[in-house]
Amino acid sequence: MPETRVLFRDIDAPGLATIQGYRDRGGYGALKRALHELEPDELLSSLEDSGLRGRGGAGFSMGKKGSFLPRGEMEKYLCCNADESEPGAFKDRELMQKNPHQLIEGCAIASLAVGATYAFVFIRGEYWEIADILDRAVGEAYDAGYLGADILDTGVRVELIVHRGAGAYICGEETALLDALEGKRGNPRLKPPFPAIQGLYGGPTLINNVETLSNVPHIVNNGADWFKGFGSEQSTGTKVVSVSGCVQRPGNYEIELGIPSREIIYGLAGGPPKGRRVKAWFPGGSSAPVLTEADLDLPYTFEDLAKAGSMLGSGSIIVADDTISIPELALRTARFYHHESCGKCTPCREGTNWTTKMLDRVVRGEATPMDLEIIAGVQEKIIGHCLCVLGDSMAMPVGSMVAKFRDEFEATIEAAREAGHGALDHSPLDRPLTTGAQAA
Amino acid sequence: MSAERSKVTLVVDGVEVTADDGAMLVDAAKEGDVEIPVFCYEPKLGGPVGACRMCLVEIEGIPKLQTACSTPVRDGMVVYTRTDRVIESQSAVVEFLLVNHPLDCPVCDKGGECPLQDIAMGWGPGRSRMTEPKRHFRKPMPLSPLVRIDRERCILCYRCVRFSQDVAEDEQLQLLERGASSHVGTFDDHPYIAPFHGNIIELCPVGALTAEAYRFRARPWDIEDSGSVCTLCPSQCNVMFTVRDEHVQRVLARDNDDVDAGWLCDKGRFGFQMITSEERIVEPRVGGSRAGWEAALDAVAERLRSAGERTAAIVGGQTSNEEGYLIQRLLRGALGSANITSVDELEAGLARRLAAPELGAAVPDLDAAESILVVGTDPLNSIPILDLRIRRAIRQGRARLVVASERPTALDGGAEETARYAPGDAAGFLAALAAELGNRRQAGAGTPGRAADEVPGDGSDWAEGARRIAGELRPGKTVIVYGERLGRGPGGDSALASLLECARALDLATAGAGVIGVPEGANGRGLREVGCLPGAGPGFAEAPAGRGLDRIKQGLLDGELDAVVLVHADPIRNLPDGPGWAEALRRARTVIAVSAFDDASTETADIVFPAESYAEKEGTVTHPDGRLQRLRPAVPHPGNVHPIWQVLAELGARLGHETGIGSVPEAVATIAAEVPFYAGITPEEIGGRGVRWQERPAASAVAELAAVPPEQRTSRTNLDRDDSGTLTADRLRLGTYPALWADEITDRNVALRFLAPAQTVELAPSDGERLGLASGDEVEVRSNGTGVRARVALNERMRPGAVFLIEATAAENANALPAELNVEVIKP
Amino acid sequence: MNEEFPYLKDAEEVVTVQRGPEPGGAKGAYRAFGETLRGLRTTMARLIEGPMTIQYPEEKTPVYPRFRGRHKLHRFEDTGLEKCVGCSLCAAACPADCIRVVAAENDPDDRVSPGERYAAVYEINLARCIFCGYCEVACPFDAITMGHEYELADYNRGDLIFTKEMLLAEPVERTPLRREGE
Repeated sequence: MPETRVLFRDIDAPGLATIQGYRDRGGYGALKRALHELEPDELLSSLEDSGLRGRGGAGFSMGKKGSFLPRGEMEKYLCCNADESEPGAFKDRELMQKNPHQLIEGCAIASLAVGATYAFVFIRGEYWEIADILDRAVGEAYDAGYLGADILDTGVRVELIVHRGAGAYICGEETALLDALEGKRGNPRLKPPFPAIQGLYGGPTLINNVETLSNVPHIVNNGADWFKGFGSEQSTGTKVVSVSGCVQRPGNYEIELGIPSREIIYGLAGGPPKGRRVKAWFPGGSSAPVLTEADLDLPYTFEDLAKAGSMLGSGSIIVADDTISIPELALRTARFYHHESCGKCTPCREGTNWTTKMLDRVVRGEATPMDLEIIAGVQEKIIGHCLCVLGDSMAMPVGSMVAKFRDEFEATIEAAREAGHGALDHSPLDRPLTTGAQAA
Repeated sequence: MSAERSKVTLVVDGVEVTADDGAMLVDAAKEGDVEIPVFCYEPKLGGPVGACRMCLVEIEGIPKLQTACSTPVRDGMVVYTRTDRVIESQSAVVEFLLVNHPLDCPVCDKGGECPLQDIAMGWGPGRSRMTEPKRHFRKPMPLSPLVRIDRERCILCYRCVRFSQDVAEDEQLQLLERGASSHVGTFDDHPYIAPFHGNIIELCPVGALTAEAYRFRARPWDIEDSGSVCTLCPSQCNVMFTVRDEHVQRVLARDNDDVDAGWLCDKGRFGFQMITSEERIVEPRVGGSRAGWEAALDAVAERLRSAGERTAAIVGGQTSNEEGYLIQRLLRGALGSANITSVDELEAGLARRLAAPELGAAVPDLDAAESILVVGTDPLNSIPILDLRIRRAIRQGRARLVVASERPTALDGGAEETARYAPGDAAGFLAALAAELGNRRQAGAGTPGRAADEVPGDGSDWAEGARRIAGELRPGKTVIVYGERLGRGPGGDSALASLLECARALDLATAGAGVIGVPEGANGRGLREVGCLPGAGPGFAEAPAGRGLDRIKQGLLDGELDAVVLVHADPIRNLPDGPGWAEALRRARTVIAVSAFDDASTETADIVFPAESYAEKEGTVTHPDGRLQRLRPAVPHPGNVHPIWQVLAELGARLGHETGIGSVPEAVATIAAEVPFYAGITPEEIGGRGVRWQERPAASAVAELAAVPPEQRTSRTNLDRDDSGTLTADRLRLGTYPALWADEITDRNVALRFLAPAQTVELAPSDGERLGLASGDEVEVRSNGTGVRARVALNERMRPGAVFLIEATAAENANALPAELNVEVIKP
Repeated sequence: MNEEFPYLKDAEEVVTVQRGPEPGGAKGAYRAFGETLRGLRTTMARLIEGPMTIQYPEEKTPVYPRFRGRHKLHRFEDTGLEKCVGCSLCAAACPADCIRVVAAENDPDDRVSPGERYAAVYEINLARCIFCGYCEVACPFDAITMGHEYELADYNRGDLIFTKEMLLAEPVERTPLRREGE
């Protein structure tokens, strides 16, 4: 099955990143239409009708979120979450790098729809090159009058500011992003109040992912019904999927939601190297519970993956083939979240710390099968008890790995025990994970 | 006072509970005797943060467990706090918290009074499955000279950080690092020096923050708690003394939202060491040598009898109402002298009018006020807890703050407008403000931007400042916090008269608005109300005119007065013109001092009586907002110290004036009978929370207080001084101010001594540049041949032409400079 | 149902007591003399053992190993540091309220106990102590144990307040321990 390119149309065309190149392909037409032909309410309802769900991870309807913002005269804000820090996700990076104006247009239209005068793009600190591209594009848009105090001479004001993060995964959490944007320590806030009611600087704030906002111009141009024509009933549109791990052709692929997952992993990304089999795969970034080979025929939609006990998340597929040690993968995953936990709430701070220490022992060969019980128990005690979803993001994949690959964990412990306790005198994290590519 | 909140009914664990609408579930559950464990929730710190996750509960209709600390109650809510899911989450959180907690309870100071111990026992799983190594920090580290931090014990509840950032607003404490390595600290490990930082010890739910002074002193089962009131400053915070073996070991806050909102300043919290100081005077002294009480009382009675009406008395701020009443009775009744005054002396007519019940604001009125004017005082220095209160009022977004003062205040940063008048020009500024407010009132309430035309001081910057200030004040909804120091000096009476005009122009004689005067002494208001005021007896009753402070000094110098009685007062250190007082006391025939410590004034005394400390005293004091509060003895008197009221009553009897007062309740009853607006008050009514006399029925008996003719502007004014508005370049005008840590309390508490400031002269940068001075330079501030050495501190918020020195420092006291406004600042 | 005892539900609840023989006859004579002699058997047997009186205080009664006598405070054998950290839990546990502890902070250069804290004052008023041993149970560091010494009489009540130094010192008098089988 081929890709369905909407956001990625002409993505590799030279000059698309410039305003001229974007306009040559009909760019900023949607903004003009939104300004001249549509009322904010119409914009919002067409976004809601389109069924566009957030592409950042939670998958909440964008139009519905926009409609939660109170009406009336007050300072409202739009935040674009470009803090793409999830291991395995790199779709926003390509979208911003190669087609920044699509995002800028999306931000401008979304600002019109909710009545925000200030839009912020909170971009991950490590994306400094892309931030420069974005800054250049924003400059072009200002010069061309698509942004500023009086956009396209309509008297409407939309300012767009690109803000570079300082390198913390937690700042991808919407409320932590707001705190970081306000200049504070990036810690999640208590919800409620939700950002739509009380967000940035206490004002109503709409926060959406880069890909979500990039979809907006296309919906305005082609209508909600056109958008609904793609995908399944509950998962409309196309999705840029980042495929990585043990596949022959890793990269971003834009697909229509609802195609079988096998099509993405084997069809588009080429599957694991010859002679290997898929052992486990994360369907939606490293925070999604892992699925196994048996789940490969699941349609790639929000609802089907949820039914299978996982989630589509940010749409980042990570494939682990049969050369990968699952306990090591679990340790690596836990280690990441342990490092990135902000420390505000207890279960996440202590749970990620404890899990990492235990998994480290498992891989070192200093554990007993009883430790697996404790690991599984600790994950259960993290899920649903945290302030934000970071704790769950570790507990879900680690918990699913222990549950689905229990045999392998036990075999690892047994093998290490036979080789003598503490066979590894260094941390397993000091060396790279065995990957298919290296083995081949 | 806020209106009654509507009630909602909910069901907690099957028990129907009625709670205030909008209350958080944690608090509402208590109504049904259900305790939901919490660590991070502390309403004193502001909104909930939901960080500890200890309070998760199940609410019908919501699939996920919810934090009870952040969930407001709704009518008909059904809540479960002991279902399997909830119990599992609670035991999980306890287990997680103990993952990195050292469990060194036997050596931990918090052991026995530790919320973590209680919650771990009550809600925890009983055992941990954790076998990994715990995290380690260097411990215990000094966080400041008064507080130690043990980061291994910290459970990262954020309370201390929130206190520093959201309550004290000093922003010094931060959470450093992240995740499991997070720890509390300051930037670059600088010591946390701030006037309120002791509160974090009390906030800490584990033993991570411990007081240097209380380390390993006692366990909860070794101690007794004794509630009283701190009389080290006019804040009169409600405190709880921790007593072990008849010694005060610790001072804790005894939350009273009407007074202190649950906070203490570090002076109140750590200033108890002097109670057990070796240096205390514990026996009467006659002529420098120890004497028994009989001999001492006989000596005093004889000397006072011979001095008769040529006696004067000065009462200091730590004196209780009963002691104040008895000393004025001793003078007026037994000796026929009218020369009784306190360090918070005001002109009798003004004092009467400022005490008018409808004009007085209560401390909680600050919370609801729309605008707050701070004038002529820096609350941080003079009434520290009010500084926090005003910050809270601003933070909660209701009040707009304006500050008018001669010296920059700690509250300037949060103020909408600030006006800075020159030292000694308060009268001029307030006159301009009164005129401006009067004009605005005439022009119709709330019309902004109308200029005052007839402002005295030839269009100086007073008018401009007054206009800016007046523009922010909301008639009928303003609380004015003024320093009673405004009443000092030649322009004092006119300044306070103008302040009263301002209050009238702003309609402040309404509920929720009014004025709060900040006295110098802790019980300044109470002492005036029980008659320690020349020309006004108990209850501001008409009394024969007597000498005020200045005339007492003059009388002693001239030999017109023979004897002076000092009760808790050290005029040489604490009153302007210290050298003049020293000379006056030296020349006095008899000086009788009641003092707990030796100071410059007791050195001149012929007879010294030992004074009680505030932890030993029984009696009442009156808060600046009119709240009568009870002092209860927490520890016995050391050595041969007797209650002062007893000594005064005994003296009266020996002088042939039997008071009939044989106990403190009898003294209270006598005061209640004589002060019409205290009528009928009893110690029982005052109780542990105090009672504002303005809110009692007896207050109506003094409606005439306010009815005193308003336009009796006093003759003493400085408006006609030639240098009123302009300051010339070569002459700097000196102002002095009381700094929080520049007093004898700091000097007498070992723990606090490091805070005592060295004399500093503050200058505007422009003046510094002109004089070639930089911050840190050593200079001498000279006037009429007297000099005070000080270090320069350039402060850009200072008014050019003004210089400031600190009063009552141990050395180089600014009070040593004679009351002269113009000074030179020279490099020695 | 039991016919003899209709109020009892179950015959098993009935305990039958064996009564002695009626007076008179051979059985009666046996009851008068035989049983009496049998009862005196133990007494007679002890007659030949000689006197069992212990000549206290020249001789001392041996006590069981778990006998709760005078308290002892302990030191670590290797370092010589006191085990007591002055936590006051013994004072909290004491039902007679006879223990007084005042803790202080250790000087790292001149340690008294291993932790941050040590007992500057540790006093037990043995005139009040009821030797219940709760202090021993409460102690988290096994710093206080009940010894075997029971000779605590003194001429002066004040002398019965044992200080830390007295409690740390080895008792001079050793009480004999009761051996296995004694």
